[in-house]
Amino acid sequence: MFIRGKDLIKLAAIAVVTCCAVFVCTLFLNYMQDLADVGGEIASEAGRILYEAQMSMGKVTCAVTGGCLVLTSAVLLAFYVKNYVDAHGRELGVLKALGMSEWRIAAAFWVFGLSVLAGCLLGFVLAFAYMPRFYAVQNADGLFPDMAVRLHPGLIWWEILLPSLCFAGLAVFCAARKLRRPALELLRGKQEISFRPAASGDLPFLKDLRRQTLRRKKVLAFLVTFSAFCFSAMTQMSLSMFDLASATFAWMILAIGLILAFVTLMLSLSSVVRANAGTIAMMRAFGYPDSACSSAVLGGYRPLSWIGFAVGTIYQYGLLKLVMTFVFAGVEGMPAYSFNFWALALSLVLFAAVYELILYRFSQKLNALPLRAVMI
Amino acid sequence: MISLRGVTKSYGRGAGLTRVLKGVDLEIPDGSFSVILGASGSGKTTLLNVMSGLERPDEGSVRVDGQELSGLTDRELTAFRKRTVGFVFQQYYLLPDLTVEKNVRMGADLAGNPDFSGILESVGLGDKRKKYPGELSGGEQQRVSIARALAKRPQVLFADEPTGALDEQTGRQVLDVMARMRQKLGLTVVMVTHNQNIAQMADRVITMNSGKILGQAEGGSKSAFEIGW
Repeated sequence: MFIRGKDLIKLAAIAVVTCCAVFVCTLFLNYMQDLADVGGEIASEAGRILYEAQMSMGKVTCAVTGGCLVLTSAVLLAFYVKNYVDAHGRELGVLKALGMSEWRIAAAFWVFGLSVLAGCLLGFVLAFAYMPRFYAVQNADGLFPDMAVRLHPGLIWWEILLPSLCFAGLAVFCAARKLRRPALELLRGKQEISFRPAASGDLPFLKDLRRQTLRRKKVLAFLVTFSAFCFSAMTQMSLSMFDLASATFAWMILAIGLILAFVTLMLSLSSVVRANAGTIAMMRAFGYPDSACSSAVLGGYRPLSWIGFAVGTIYQYGLLKLVMTFVFAGVEGMPAYSFNFWALALSLVLFAAVYELILYRFSQKLNALPLRAVMI
Repeated sequence: MISLRGVTKSYGRGAGLTRVLKGVDLEIPDGSFSVILGASGSGKTTLLNVMSGLERPDEGSVRVDGQELSGLTDRELTAFRKRTVGFVFQQYYLLPDLTVEKNVRMGADLAGNPDFSGILESVGLGDKRKKYPGELSGGEQQRVSIARALAKRPQVLFADEPTGALDEQTGRQVLDVMARMRQKLGLTVVMVTHNQNIAQMADRVITMNSGKILGQAEGGSKSAFEIGW
């Protein structure tokens, strides 16, 4: 397996997302188990209501945040394996031409599961390092008996070993599927024709190119939308959390949201740049100005990111409303929740500035691609 | 007129420095069909890249139609390529997700040329306009690439081994299309090749070796079907 510096950066990105998922889930699952152990000792009514609320909140958080992050890791890993096979088609094609089966070659891809193992281990350790503070915040009013942080060994299986095995299996499966092509096709670097471009009528060249760039890589379009969704939902949710929960919660959600948004956006945009290097080189050779080149390739993602932002806004409002109405109903001292326009405004301004800055940076990267290197 | 004086070009640095062009002097008259002939590694593709504004020379002067290219910024070189040159490459470099028609519009839209359909007809691909490059043979793809280059109405057409990936029959057809379009549009054509037979089609043959011009001679001005292969 030929893993270079660039590959390591992408694998590190997958590890970071996995780390976030395991961190959140370990924190809540371990806390819920410890809380359940002392559940019988909680006598006051206020304590019982808070107990139920925290148990429900834990389940919702694990399912929504953890599930979302795990799904993202899976999409990123599958996407990464696919790109890896495309980029190393010649080397892999030689192995196939020599008579190795696709499953035999794909078996070596289990090593990509190591990035997930590293992320899981890091997330698990970080969660336990943070856990005493988390327990103190959760029981700030002293309604529960004192709880010591205990390690529940079952979590090692569910949070570290099982995900690592599953992701290693996913990497092997994706690679085997992608390698199910004739050896000559891999050797020649011929791309699979997996989509039939839609008829584009009489659209001018640049508009048609922008449209087909989006259609050709649907996963990239999804990831760009998803990163905007994460940014929007998590920043607004965290800003509301300062009033509704605690600063600790707010910072945690903000950090996870920003990491997730940043990692997915960087990974997807760098893939866009790489996938379109040849097109850009040819356009520049013909005399298309830099602005037209980057706009044709990157411009189509802008509306998608705004859609992601809007959906994220609606999602976080719906989720918080649901939690405050049903989960924390009856808990004393909980403020009423209404849509946070201040959070929306701040998030919107930040998003526009950061997103445009990143797009600008990638436009520069596109325009700096050397014509000669790309063509040769 | 394309005029080069004392052009040098190197790649790499230090011990890895490779001098690809070593003081090239050359003149190519307007409307001519010039072939640059040389073995692999002789510097002919680099010479083509420098003449067409794809790369800058390290030293020397490159003038195309009176305009000095060596001092131009990236933006100015882009503008120069937009209004002056067209390219045909050995590997075609068509955009695989766009139809034949849209690939040709890549050149046509740049020049504001509404008559891209006529060019497609001229290269014999009128009935393939809705096909995708992956659905065409190598010769057809190369003809699309010629149509794309011509659709932007260039003054000079640069072709880098345009028949290098084609069999004899298809290669002859592609060369024939280029020769006919050159006569029809009055273009200057500069073609790089290692095939000595193709040189018989040219007005002028420029022979290169080790980054230097070895000699220039009159070509045979034969048709694509009269030359050997």
